[in-house]
Amino acid sequence: MTTKDLVLIALFAAIVVMLGLLPPITLAFIPVPITAQSMGVMLAGCIIGAKRGALAYALFVVLVAAGLPVLAGGHGGLSVLMGPTAGYIFGWIPGTYVAGLVAERMVREGQPEARQYIGFFLASVIGGIGVVYGIGIPWLCAVTGTPFGAALYGNLAFIPGDLVKAVIATLAARAVLAGYPMLHSRA
Amino acid sequence: MLKSLYVDGHTFLHRASAGAKMAALALCGIALYFTHSTIILASATVLAGTIYLRVGLDLREAYARLKPVLFTIGILALVNWWVLGFGIAAMQLLRIIAIVLLAAAITATTRIAEFMALIEWLLGPLDRRGLVRASDISLALGLVLRFVPDIFAHYEGLKDAHVARGIPFRPARAIGPMIILVLKDADSIAEAIDARGIRGL
Repeated sequence: MTTKDLVLIALFAAIVVMLGLLPPITLAFIPVPITAQSMGVMLAGCIIGAKRGALAYALFVVLVAAGLPVLAGGHGGLSVLMGPTAGYIFGWIPGTYVAGLVAERMVREGQPEARQYIGFFLASVIGGIGVVYGIGIPWLCAVTGTPFGAALYGNLAFIPGDLVKAVIATLAARAVLAGYPMLHSRA
Repeated sequence: MLKSLYVDGHTFLHRASAGAKMAALALCGIALYFTHSTIILASATVLAGTIYLRVGLDLREAYARLKPVLFTIGILALVNWWVLGFGIAAMQLLRIIAIVLLAAAITATTRIAEFMALIEWLLGPLDRRGLVRASDISLALGLVLRFVPDIFAHYEGLKDAHVARGIPFRPARAIGPMIILVLKDADSIAEAIDARGIRGL
């Protein structure tokens, strides 16, 4: 790993910290406020690629575990990682990796714009929603004993907000690809 | 801007090594997972709560730190009560509160430097095989702490630029430009690190 990769990983972890400092957005048609931090999964995968993106999130989880209040709302520490929602936080790491893999495979520079948008959106949905929930929900069930169906049902409330995040991440990733492409540089 | 959750104190948890505390937390988690006696679980919760409240936090801060986790746990406990009945829900509730309280006590009594030293030690075997450089983790952590304020400044700068031009500022649309501004710094930071020989050769 080159020093530049290390710096990109650290900078992206810092961006994820910063996303947690932004005030949550409330939209009229969605029942839960949207926090920007889980959007970082989609952004990291689509912008710096699978390997560096996943390492940026691994570093972020180390920050949480070390007792830095870097989660949205100024929270952190081992209590979060032992709590019922820890699976979502650990799930951010493979979620970023998968989002990055999909984006690396589907999106090329010089493709028509529409195809790039589609590629980034699919990467965001598969990695940032599919993988994160695929780990977070079973984890929550294992920790609290809540039946899988009930946990799945409760998570539906977050899906509209997540789709909004996927759209925002798609637009941002495409802007970065046009302005300062990093996705296919070597990690 | 980012203040560690560590609190100064002289309890036995402050004196214990980070590795011992992590191992104890893991063992307690496993032990509680296989305990089905409400009395033992309740005692464990009281014990963990006592430990947590004696690490040197005042009550309000102690509660504020756990509020979001306790809120989620409370909601899930209500769901469990409704779906699985009172007995099982109460048992699960005690089990998870005990482990969360213990984890919070360990976070409040472990310095970041001790925790990072533990991570580096755990990565030691991988380091010796040349798979990772354990010392990179502490360097990366330092970089994050150093750059969060800079990233915030980039964000505020974009906001000011919008205001100066009379364009309404939408955070969602500023994310792409903000990331470009941040990533453009990567080359010069990497060069500065290499020029100082911080990572060795």
